[in-house]
Amino acid sequence: MDSSMEKNKSDASCEFQQNLEILRQIELFAGLPMETLKVFAYLCRRESYTAEDFVFREDDDDGQAVYIISGQLFLIHETDDGEETLRTYQPGDFIGGLSLLASGRRLFSLKAGKDTECMVMTREKFAKAIAQFPELVPRIFRSVVDSIRRWDQHLLFAMTEKGLSLEGMTGISAL
Amino acid sequence: MAKPRPSVVKRSIYSWILGRNTNLQLVVLVLIAITVFARVLPLEMQKRIVNEAIRLRQVDLLVRYCAIYLASVITASGLKYLITVLQVMISQRTLARMRKGLFAHIISLPLNFFRNTQPGLVVSSLISELTLPANFVGMAIAAPVINLLTLVAFAVYLFFLNPWLAALSLSIYPIVVFLVPLLQKRVNQANKKRVDATRSLSDKIQETISGIHEVHGNAAYDIENRKFGGIVDRLYRIRLRWDFFRASVKVSNNFFTSLGPFLVFILGGYLTIQGQLELGALVAFLSAQEKLYDPWKELIEFYQVYQDGNVTYTKTMRYFDSQPEHALAPSDRAPYRLEGHVEVKDLAFVTGDGIRLLDRISLELKPGEHMALVGFSGSGKSTLAQCIGQLYAYTDGQALFGNAEVRDLTKKDMALNMGFVAQAPFIFDGTIEDNLLYSCQAARDVSDGASEAPEPSLEDMIQVLHQTGLFVDTLRFGLNAMLDAERDHALVEQLVRVRKNFRQQFGKTLADYVEFFEEDRYLYHSSVAANLLFGTSKRKEFSGPALAANRDFIAFLEKADLKRPLMELGADLARQTVDILGNLPPDKVFFEQSPIAPEELEDFKPLAQQTRRHKLHQLTPEERYKLLELALRFIPGRHKMVSFPELLERLILEGRALFKEQIHKDHPDAFAFYDEGDYIFSQTIQNNIFFGKTKTTRPKAQDTIVQSIIQLLIEEDLLETIVGIGMQFQVGSKGDKLSGGQRQKLAIARVFLKSPHLLIMDEATSALDNNSQARIQNFLGTRLKGRTTVIAVVHRLDIISDYDKVAVMKAGKLIEIGSYDDLMAQKGVLYGLIHGKK
Repeated sequence: MDSSMEKNKSDASCEFQQNLEILRQIELFAGLPMETLKVFAYLCRRESYTAEDFVFREDDDDGQAVYIISGQLFLIHETDDGEETLRTYQPGDFIGGLSLLASGRRLFSLKAGKDTECMVMTREKFAKAIAQFPELVPRIFRSVVDSIRRWDQHLLFAMTEKGLSLEGMTGISAL
Repeated sequence: MAKPRPSVVKRSIYSWILGRNTNLQLVVLVLIAITVFARVLPLEMQKRIVNEAIRLRQVDLLVRYCAIYLASVITASGLKYLITVLQVMISQRTLARMRKGLFAHIISLPLNFFRNTQPGLVVSSLISELTLPANFVGMAIAAPVINLLTLVAFAVYLFFLNPWLAALSLSIYPIVVFLVPLLQKRVNQANKKRVDATRSLSDKIQETISGIHEVHGNAAYDIENRKFGGIVDRLYRIRLRWDFFRASVKVSNNFFTSLGPFLVFILGGYLTIQGQLELGALVAFLSAQEKLYDPWKELIEFYQVYQDGNVTYTKTMRYFDSQPEHALAPSDRAPYRLEGHVEVKDLAFVTGDGIRLLDRISLELKPGEHMALVGFSGSGKSTLAQCIGQLYAYTDGQALFGNAEVRDLTKKDMALNMGFVAQAPFIFDGTIEDNLLYSCQAARDVSDGASEAPEPSLEDMIQVLHQTGLFVDTLRFGLNAMLDAERDHALVEQLVRVRKNFRQQFGKTLADYVEFFEEDRYLYHSSVAANLLFGTSKRKEFSGPALAANRDFIAFLEKADLKRPLMELGADLARQTVDILGNLPPDKVFFEQSPIAPEELEDFKPLAQQTRRHKLHQLTPEERYKLLELALRFIPGRHKMVSFPELLERLILEGRALFKEQIHKDHPDAFAFYDEGDYIFSQTIQNNIFFGKTKTTRPKAQDTIVQSIIQLLIEEDLLETIVGIGMQFQVGSKGDKLSGGQRQKLAIARVFLKSPHLLIMDEATSALDNNSQARIQNFLGTRLKGRTTVIAVVHRLDIISDYDKVAVMKAGKLIEIGSYDDLMAQKGVLYGLIHGKK
């Protein structure tokens, strides 16, 4: 590994450098070596959305993960009666990491609440890049498994707290 | 079925020698007869020159004999040349015929055959393995006849000179004749093994390359190297053995024939000393004997070619000695026109090793009925579809298509009446249009020129593009095409007119997505060069890589204070790009956002190093040129690995104005500056309509852009024209410039275009997004229902309710069939499948 973080004297904030900083804050990528992170940072793109723009919709297999740089995104479920907002995402949130790993149709839609700028990674690029560093695959799996377990734990905790029945609701980490 | 000729794989190698080569071979024979005579004549002249002309001191005789000598040598050489040419002709003609014959045979073999045959093997068989046999065929008459005749002629001549000497010197040859076949047997064994090992090698290469993703994914380089190395080593040992025995055939032959002169010297020398043999006769004898070697050597060589060729030929042909399961075309009638009635009775398909993939299946479809085949993977639904479509030959029971037994129909009957869309359809190298017409073209070939179906028109093609949802894709290809100033004159004028309307109607809507070419704004989605020139060069020295070497341009850069800052930018780009991409393979995904092309990367590695160690002025002119050239390619909107200093941006904008002034003065005719009233030939049609470039790759934004353009093109009556241009898009080898969905849509479109009576779709829409899938489903349901019988193997169960019948398969058996509503009401297997119960 050479002087890796190229000293960019004139301006330290080119998009690539910013992406690199962002990736280091995302759990899925945080532990990866710098050489790999650089490739991912290089492959990410910026997209901006205006209010009501969809990042993806239910049933899409769009295969992308987004990191919110600025703005706000809503995770919604579209029903016959209208939309139900499930979650609100803020700058710093990373959404859709699982869809980088395998194809699958979205169960929810993701919609911009106001002008939003995101950093976007697609499955195609992720797969091509990770194929170059096969030794990292176990680490990626590790962090996916960890976050699923944490999610389950959280649910377990939250539901017990509220005195709700757990039957059929948790246990996804036991898959 | 009357078969006019035996199949190519049944032919013996000897059958190629005459056949269509008979005439050429006869000519060769005549030439040989003359050549042999012309070869023996010099010997006689030699003897006469020594014995008569020299001894009798007669110059006129000397001249006459020498003249005859010379004439016959020239004749013999000339004829030999002619014979060689004819030989080459025969062997190349044969090679071409063998290749065509074998290729035609191979592609007619049943699909099953290719399960166990790697493409690499077919490649090596057709390309390298047939050369040796063809060489043999070329030599088959000429080589033995000319050499045997020459040999016999010389031998007779030797006996005529001196019977004892002749008998003695010829006594060696029986030994050789005995020895050579013994050695050759070993050669043949080695050769057979060589063919096998070469095959394993090509299989292995094929396997590794097709599985390269797995290899990379598992970093299994060592495993693959070991496997490959093992076969290479085996081949090395076999080849060594082969060549060793081949050489020993040659050497032992040479050794024994070289003993000849030794015997002649001993006996002939003695006889001459004793005065029993004239000196002239001894000279003639020696040189005649010398001349025995060449034909003999050639005979032995021919023998080797014959043996090697025969072994290779037999091995190759035997490998492909399977028969097509169905005749290709009817020989005694026109191809049938079949109605879309399908009836399957007790159909079974059992593989060679006894596995029952289909078990007593019965069903019936009236013309125009639609049936969905569902079931778990491995349940046999694809196999059933393929048996009905004649891609596999069912082993028992009946499948009737238009009341004819599918098994007995020829391939042409099927192709004319049925359309089959495979799960992983294949797209051929060529344009979209070529691929669209593929099925129709084949069907038209079927009708033997008496084409009942006229060639599809542009409207027909556009219609199927709509039906399959490929229309927008094709339009995009069209919009991304470049036009030619000469050829597209009229269109260009129209497009320039469109530009103005576009601005008025959509300028505002698309302002967020498009960067318009404005003289006083920096274009972040164009290169530095484009920003400086802001126009299209009409001269080579002002475009592409030549620009950075152009003296006028360099002088301009210096004047504009841009040379050093740009070189600095180039150095930064080179360092960052090499740092990020230095160890990555040349994949499009990695290099899309790189200013350095994959093939240039190696060149830039040392340069990046240099810029770390040295100041710019310490670099060589060549290095500085490269940095400048790289900087000129920089597109801030795409190459995000470096920052773009604001000062430099302002300098470039200043430079744009300066450049325009300068060029107007120095080379007024070298440039066409971007002008709202002119077409820009160096830009795509879309950029011309925009008079700008799109800024985003976001699908949603692309949709908005395309919708606007479509609306505009419809108003201007240009839509068909642009789609027509899009249909000329080259899809690349195996269609690799298309997405998986586009390939699948194209495969469906080409079958729709043929409008067959029976349409079989084997998970044909699996790679499509929801909208495209719904669109095709809708087309099937509304337009084809009642007209075309459809059998669709379906993976997704949410699209089957439109079908007249649903057939559920499990483990090779048909367990439920009926209308969707009936089956759901029964709450049987289909109900369970849909509601997720297993």
